Amino acid sequence: MSGKGSFNKITSLIVKEKMFSTRMLLMFPILLLFIPGLAWGFSDPNIILPGGHRPETPMEVLFYSSLGVVFGGTMCAVLMSFDGVSKERASGVLEVKLAQPMTRLHQTLALVRGTAIAVIIPVTILVIISIFIIRYRMGVWPELMDVVVHIVATGLILTWYTLFTLIASSKAREQGTAIAFGVGIWFFFTFLWALVTSMVAFASGIAIGQESDPSWIALEGALDLFSPNGVYHHILESRLPDVQRGVSGWQIGIMAIAWTILPLWVLARRMEDLVP
Amino acid sequence: MAEVVLQLIGASCRHYISAPLLTKPWRKILGPGIAKIDLKLHKGAILGLVGPNGAGKTTLLRMLSGILPLQKGTIISISQQGGQTVETEFTTSLELRKIIGHMPEQVRWQGKKSVLDAMIEIAAMRGSSEHRILGLIKLVGLNSRIDSPLDELSQGMRQRLTLAIALLGSPEILLLDEPFNGLDPVAGQAFALLLRELSGKGVSIVISSHQVSGLIGIIDRIALLHRGQLLIEGEIKSVEKELELSDRFDLTGTSQPPSSKLIEKLGMKIIDSNIDNDVWQMQVKGNADGVLKNLIREGVDVESWQPHAPDLVEMLCSSTGLRVEDVGLEITSSAFLPLLQREVEEE
Repeated sequence: MSGKGSFNKITSLIVKEKMFSTRMLLMFPILLLFIPGLAWGFSDPNIILPGGHRPETPMEVLFYSSLGVVFGGTMCAVLMSFDGVSKERASGVLEVKLAQPMTRLHQTLALVRGTAIAVIIPVTILVIISIFIIRYRMGVWPELMDVVVHIVATGLILTWYTLFTLIASSKAREQGTAIAFGVGIWFFFTFLWALVTSMVAFASGIAIGQESDPSWIALEGALDLFSPNGVYHHILESRLPDVQRGVSGWQIGIMAIAWTILPLWVLARRMEDLVP
Repeated sequence: MAEVVLQLIGASCRHYISAPLLTKPWRKILGPGIAKIDLKLHKGAILGLVGPNGAGKTTLLRMLSGILPLQKGTIISISQQGGQTVETEFTTSLELRKIIGHMPEQVRWQGKKSVLDAMIEIAAMRGSSEHRILGLIKLVGLNSRIDSPLDELSQGMRQRLTLAIALLGSPEILLLDEPFNGLDPVAGQAFALLLRELSGKGVSIVISSHQVSGLIGIIDRIALLHRGQLLIEGEIKSVEKELELSDRFDLTGTSQPPSSKLIEKLGMKIIDSNIDNDVWQMQVKGNADGVLKNLIREGVDVESWQPHAPDLVEMLCSSTGLRVEDVGLEITSSAFLPLLQREVEEE
């Protein structure tokens, strides 16, 4: 088997193992509720959001439904990867794998790819179902580019959370610490980031939460580049008209690359030095 | 003597251990490991790597299998090409891993993945064919469990799976870390036969163990490891002789034990003796020719007479000069302690 063939084979085995695991079986109804469920709700012709806002285009509905990815999809990525390294390390299987004539970098890349794909496939299927729901409820298809951007951005955020959690898993010696790290990172970016933003705004003398204040919007937009969830929303907002948060496309692109490359580099370095 | 296939020259690898200070909370210092080991692996020979807990057996096997990097020293592959000996230094651990099969201690395979899928995954890393996988599963006796989830395997079955995986890619050298743990006596015997068969095919095997007795009859050579240092290595008989542990016999009997004078008269020396009620036990050393016959002629009631196989503690005591109490429960500390007799000291 060629090097590439081996790499693809290992990836596919990881995907098979994780995608049909009990954990995914437990997470799937939650994802179903969060992703197509939110799409169903936000595409209701009579819905009125706080502030009197009404989603008018399919992309707007997809944008609001992305909350399901932020809450459910990323949690699924954390739950799929928290023991990606620590479990095999504790059981001795990692030692068997590290003794094989395949570089640690390739083994790491196969693990990341396999774990991320195992989450991305079901989430993408649910996003596609959401698109059909939107079409059914609103009578309009989203633009092809909107769909592509939404799916790519969703794949990216799921990969980022997979990477963070695998790094945590490579650090932790037992499962409890591994899951605490993973859920901690998820909790920080999903819930506590607003607190960080508020603290920075307070320290900068900017009124907190004033949606009409340009300096608050600019600050929030800039700080969001330092959160994976923020970058995800920036990417999605690039397809929404009338959203200006003072962040340009190249900045979003660079941060998306940084959020992918940096954790991957950290994980690869960590795996190179890992003692089973 | 069989040709050398692999040689370690001055190989060292010490673990970094956490030693936090108030000013440097992440400080790490060099801890235990392996210090400047020279070792040769012979083609088709089974080497027993013996040492107490914390001696560095697992670390040495991990170095040999390319999992842990060498901090100092080299590993050389030696082969015969056209009647000439060719020495090749391993520049990357990847090359080393191609010729080595490694069986770590007590791997706990778990999950819903089947035995076959677990092997396919590792085989993909080694580039082995599926045909070879099926052959190995049959060889280790897991044919009936080929589709069983890993969760359903007993510890013995897991050991067999680890062995099958170590044999993937037809390695020239097989490293086995405490392979008999978890195997029942029948499986253990079958396992020993399999190792003999493999060594007959020219595979060099290293078996680590903390018990010498379990390896007798399986190994051809023995290497004694203690506190990260190789104390002695060679064929069993020559090691016993060098450590002055050869020509020892265990005697047991009832009623009156033989006196030391009688034993000395027969050209032997009492090493140890013990009397419990009517039963006495004695360990003697010397040339055994005719001794048993003479003892019986002198009226000594001998119930058993057998050669004494030295155990690990005796070997350690003899090679280091440490007393039994010092060797007993002592575990390697964070620093290497210089050994008394072998004079292999830390740099």
